Amino acid sequence: MFGLDYSWLSDPVYQDWLLRGTLTTIGLALASSAIAILIGAFGALALSLRIAWLDALIELFVELFRNTPPLLQMLFFYFTLSTIGLRVTDPATGLSVPLLSAFDCALVSLSLFGGALCIEAFRSGLESLPHSVTEAARSLGYSRWARFRRIEMPIASRICLPALTNILTNLFKTTSQASVITVPELMYYAGQIYNDTFRTAEVMLLVLLIYVSLVSLLSWGMSRIEQALAFPGYGKGH
Amino acid sequence: MRTSILTIAASLAMTLGIGAASADTLADVKAKGTLTIGVKNDYPPYGFLNDKGEIVGFEVDLGKYIAKELLGPEGKFELVPVVAANRIEFLNSGRIDIILATLGVTEERGKVIDFSEYYVSAPGPSVIAPKAATFSKWEELKGLTLCGIQGSYYNKHLSGDLGIQLTAFKTQPEAYRALKDNRCVGFVFDDMTLRQKTEEADWAGYKIAVDPYEYIPQAAGIRKNDVAFRDAVNKAITKAEAEGKLIEWETTYGMPPAKYIAERAKAAAAKLKP
Repeated sequence: MFGLDYSWLSDPVYQDWLLRGTLTTIGLALASSAIAILIGAFGALALSLRIAWLDALIELFVELFRNTPPLLQMLFFYFTLSTIGLRVTDPATGLSVPLLSAFDCALVSLSLFGGALCIEAFRSGLESLPHSVTEAARSLGYSRWARFRRIEMPIASRICLPALTNILTNLFKTTSQASVITVPELMYYAGQIYNDTFRTAEVMLLVLLIYVSLVSLLSWGMSRIEQALAFPGYGKGH
Repeated sequence: MRTSILTIAASLAMTLGIGAASADTLADVKAKGTLTIGVKNDYPPYGFLNDKGEIVGFEVDLGKYIAKELLGPEGKFELVPVVAANRIEFLNSGRIDIILATLGVTEERGKVIDFSEYYVSAPGPSVIAPKAATFSKWEELKGLTLCGIQGSYYNKHLSGDLGIQLTAFKTQPEAYRALKDNRCVGFVFDDMTLRQKTEEADWAGYKIAVDPYEYIPQAAGIRKNDVAFRDAVNKAITKAEAEGKLIEWETTYGMPPAKYIAERAKAAAAKLKP
C-alpha cells in the first residue's frame, strides 16, 4: 500500500539500532519517572510542613524546572556544567573529562522537569484532602511522618493519579529530545536510518508505532493501578 | 526539526505519487528561463558565503556555467541553499532542478536520483584529534568514542564494520565543543572541512590523526529518468572540463590541484576534438 518499502528492516545493523534505541528510551523513561515521583512525593511533604524558607526554595525549584524547556535544560547540563568545573580525570587516559555522560545529563534534566510537575500534582492531591481527615488523624495521636505515610499520601496519591499519568506519558515522549545531546535512543537511531536509506516515511511510521505501543502500555498500566487502588467515592471507585 | 518535517512531508508526497515534478526538466527550465540550483552555503570551497553575503564557490560557478550552456548567454539561475539532509527531497519534490551541493555518489542515493558525470573525486571522512593522539589508522579506533554528525553516510560503516563508538551530534559546532571537552577522542567528519579547521588558531593543538579511507566521486544530482536534462548537463560539464574551467575554479577557490580534475580535463578535451 502506498509503495512502502521496509526492505531495510532486514539489515541486522538497523535491527540492532532499533532494539538498542528502544531499550535506551525505555530505560531513560523508567529511571526518570521513578526519580520524578520521589521528588514529587518528598517535595509535596516538605511543602505541607509549612516552613517558610523551605516553601520558597521548593517554589523556586518548581518555577525553574517547570517553566524551562527540557531541551534547553539538557543542553545546559551537557555543555555548561563541564565548563564550570564539573569534571573528573579519566584514569585510563589521564584526560580531564566531563563528570556527567550524555545519558546522565538527560536523566537529571528529565527527572528534575518531571519532579517539578509531580510536586505540583501531589500538592494538589494533599490540598484536596478534607480537613476532617487530618484532624481525625491528629486526634488519634499520629506523628507528622506517620500521618503523611499512613493517611495523607495514600489518599492524595489516589486523587492525583490521573494527573500523574499525564505527567509520566509526557515525560516518556520528552525522552526523544535527548537525541540532541547524543543519547542513543529511538529518535537518534531513527534519524540515522532514514538518512541512510531515504525511507523517511517508513522509518517514521515504524517509530510512531513503537512510541504509541509503549506509551499506551504505560497509560494502560497506570489505569490498572488506578482501578486497583480505587476506593469508594473517589475516581474509578464508583 | 524543521528539516525533518520537510523531509517527511516530501517523502510522503513522493510515496503517494503527488508533488513529484514532471521528468522533462529541460523543457521546464527552458520555458521558465531560469535554472534553480541547490547549493551549499556553508561548505568552502564548494559553496559558501563571501564577505558581501553572496553565495560563491566551485560548484556555484559550475552551476552558473551549466545555466549559461542550457539557456544561452542570457540564461538566469537561482541559488537555493540546501543541506545534506534535505537536498534529495528538494530535488524530488521539484523545489530545485539540480543538486550541486557536495553530493557524493553512493548506491543508496542512486536508487532515488540519477547522477551526472563525476566532476570531482572528494576525500571521504578523516579524523581530527589532539596532537598527542597516538592512533593513525582506522583499525586502531575500534572501541574508542568518536564525535560525529547525525546522518553522515559513513556512520553505519564506522559503527557497524569498524566498531567505533559514535557520539553523533546534530550540527558541527556542538561536535567541536564536545571534542574540546574531551567527550570523544576525535571528531570524524569530511576531510576537506577538518583540514581547514586545523589551520584555525583555536585548533592549533589538533591534527588530522587518521586520513580518509576512501575517495568518493562527486556529481550533480538529477531527477530519475530525466534523460534529456541529464544529457544536456553532462554536455555542459564536459565542455567546462575541456575548456579548463574546473582547473581555473580550483585556483580561484584555493583548492589543491587535483589529479582527478586534470585527467578529466585532458580526456574531455580529447573527446570534444573534431
